[in-house]
Amino acid sequence: MASAADLIELMLSGLVSGLVIGLAALAITLVFGIARFANAATGDVMTIGAYAALMATGATGSLALGGLAGILTGALTGMGSYLLVFRKLEGRTSVAALLASIGVGFVLRACLGVAFGHGQQVFQLPLVRPFRLYDIRIQPNDLKIAAAALITLALVFVVLHLTPVGRRMRAVADDPMLARVSGIAPKSVMLALWAIAGATSGIAGILIGIKTVVSPEMGWEMLLPAFAAAILGGIGHPVGAVLAGVLLGVVQELATPLVGFTYKIALAFVVLLVVLLVRPRGLFGRIEGVR
Amino acid sequence: MSITRRQTLAGLAGALAVPGLSGSVLAQAASFRIGALNPVTGAGAPYGSGMQKMILAAAEMVNAAGGAGGRSFEVFAEDTQTQPQAAVLAAKKLIEVNKVQAVLGTWSSGVSLAVVPLTNDAGIFLMNTSGAPALSVPPANAKGLSYRYQATNDRFGRAFAEIALKNGFKRPATMAFNNASGIGNTEGFKKAWEAKGGKVVEAVVYEPNQPSYRAELQKVLAAKPDVIVTGSYLADTTIILREWFQTGDAAKWIIPAWAANADLVKAVGNEASEGIMSVDSISNEGSGAFKAYDAAYQKALGQSGLTNVYAAMTWDMVVTLALAMEAAGPGADITAINAKIRAVANPEGTKVSTFAEGKEALKKGKINYEGASSVLDFDQHGDVTPDFAVSIVEAGKINRKYVVKI
Repeated sequence: MASAADLIELMLSGLVSGLVIGLAALAITLVFGIARFANAATGDVMTIGAYAALMATGATGSLALGGLAGILTGALTGMGSYLLVFRKLEGRTSVAALLASIGVGFVLRACLGVAFGHGQQVFQLPLVRPFRLYDIRIQPNDLKIAAAALITLALVFVVLHLTPVGRRMRAVADDPMLARVSGIAPKSVMLALWAIAGATSGIAGILIGIKTVVSPEMGWEMLLPAFAAAILGGIGHPVGAVLAGVLLGVVQELATPLVGFTYKIALAFVVLLVVLLVRPRGLFGRIEGVR
Repeated sequence: MSITRRQTLAGLAGALAVPGLSGSVLAQAASFRIGALNPVTGAGAPYGSGMQKMILAAAEMVNAAGGAGGRSFEVFAEDTQTQPQAAVLAAKKLIEVNKVQAVLGTWSSGVSLAVVPLTNDAGIFLMNTSGAPALSVPPANAKGLSYRYQATNDRFGRAFAEIALKNGFKRPATMAFNNASGIGNTEGFKKAWEAKGGKVVEAVVYEPNQPSYRAELQKVLAAKPDVIVTGSYLADTTIILREWFQTGDAAKWIIPAWAANADLVKAVGNEASEGIMSVDSISNEGSGAFKAYDAAYQKALGQSGLTNVYAAMTWDMVVTLALAMEAAGPGADITAINAKIRAVANPEGTKVSTFAEGKEALKKGKINYEGASSVLDFDQHGDVTPDFAVSIVEAGKINRKYVVKI
């Protein structure tokens, strides 16, 4: 049986994974809350962010500059996908936008495959041995990843709740018609939204790239857990998405001594099923009336 | 690529002229068509071009020696992209459009398992370089037309057990990627290790594409193994080794060479990769057939034939097929040729190293082709048993240490 220290280490590991998944879920939920469709290209914007960061880190030798390049590329990709594709589909059903986003994802992934090949690339960061705190191993790289994720979350919430553009975004999320008659121009709000969602995806991609390896399919493969977290958190609810990501990460890791490794992924979906059956609005979502 | 009307006409004229030429000049009734279906792009790209060029070179050599069983080879080349879907499309084209009678040189188990139903339906040969145990038995090999020139994952597992024993390890644990190939490696190891009276202290099967493998590692390391044997691929091995190093626990690793290669060392760094044992099947180095293959490889690619174990396998595919056709006699159908594959490759018989040598010796009696890739003795499943080499990563360099025979 696992010792207490082992369990705490598992929990920490799940916490870090969960924060990163939570970031991706945040990007999905932001787009859903305002543009009202599930953006399946989120994973591939993550991948683009990771590649941009990798290239810029290689060129400048600085991970900080690389990270900035990744964030910027993510934001630009998000805005570009809005201007070129999703803007044209406004007013259509959300299924049309969902299908288009799958297509956008395909295009991005294929471009990355052609440009960089399908082999893996890695961030060449020094591997560091852990230090011990009360018999619990703490990995310095974990702390850095968690710190980066938390700073990102803080910034996104500052933008959402403390800036005029954030207020306008929340107004559109609450009631698009009312926002429009109140004189909120949809285009600038949408551009801001896609920039924030793209940048958040970019950071999530960079962090996963640092934890694992960078390949053209990496983001696409992270999409399912991110969707699960977005739904569990109550779709369209930013805080919920992040907390659900963390919850799923921790529950998956802690359950492994009981259910094994093959079923830990299934566990996330069992949780999801139960939530959908018992509490369809998710942990934090509101019940929405039919419009 | 655009094709002009003139090029089309020229091509048509050429296509009309070629059969006429080969018919009259070589005075041969028919050609035997083979498909070279190789991983020219994708994960197998480092090997694919060489594999394809060696099929072409070996076919040319057979034709230059007067053909096999009165027929000369005609080769149609396609790329699998190392993807099952692309491979199936290419195989369909080879079978339905080019009417090939053998498909040679599929790489990676996913590709071979996807292509084998097509070749079975068409009643033609599939000669592959993949490891999955499922390829040995029905339904994949229901007709006995599938031959494997690479070691099975099971045999890799046996080689791992030999190596663990030789290094005096007492408490091995295993980690396997959850697919036929990964689990094949570690199950093969477990079987062989337990047959030697040993015990595997922990066995973990993990899923692909996880953001972290720390829970998996924690379970394996909790059993205090002195060595961890894996059935894994490059990406997951990279993540696992980096996370393992950052736990601070000590462990030794035995890893198949397709995962423990130069890319892995580059990705995890010299310190974390130090001492990893990388295991690969090796060519039949030092044999006469290997010399002939090596010369052809040097000529075609300007590199030593040692750099591509899979190209030696595709070379052998053409030679064994040709010798079986020669033994079966003119006009033999696939069933008759298939009946001769083991007869020309396995003992007893005069040992031969090239097609020309074998063709001569067949006039006097039985032959035993000793291949470039291995001694090439097929068991009842159409599998061979190559030798294995153990390399150790030392200061970022992968140095070959010794050869293991199973």
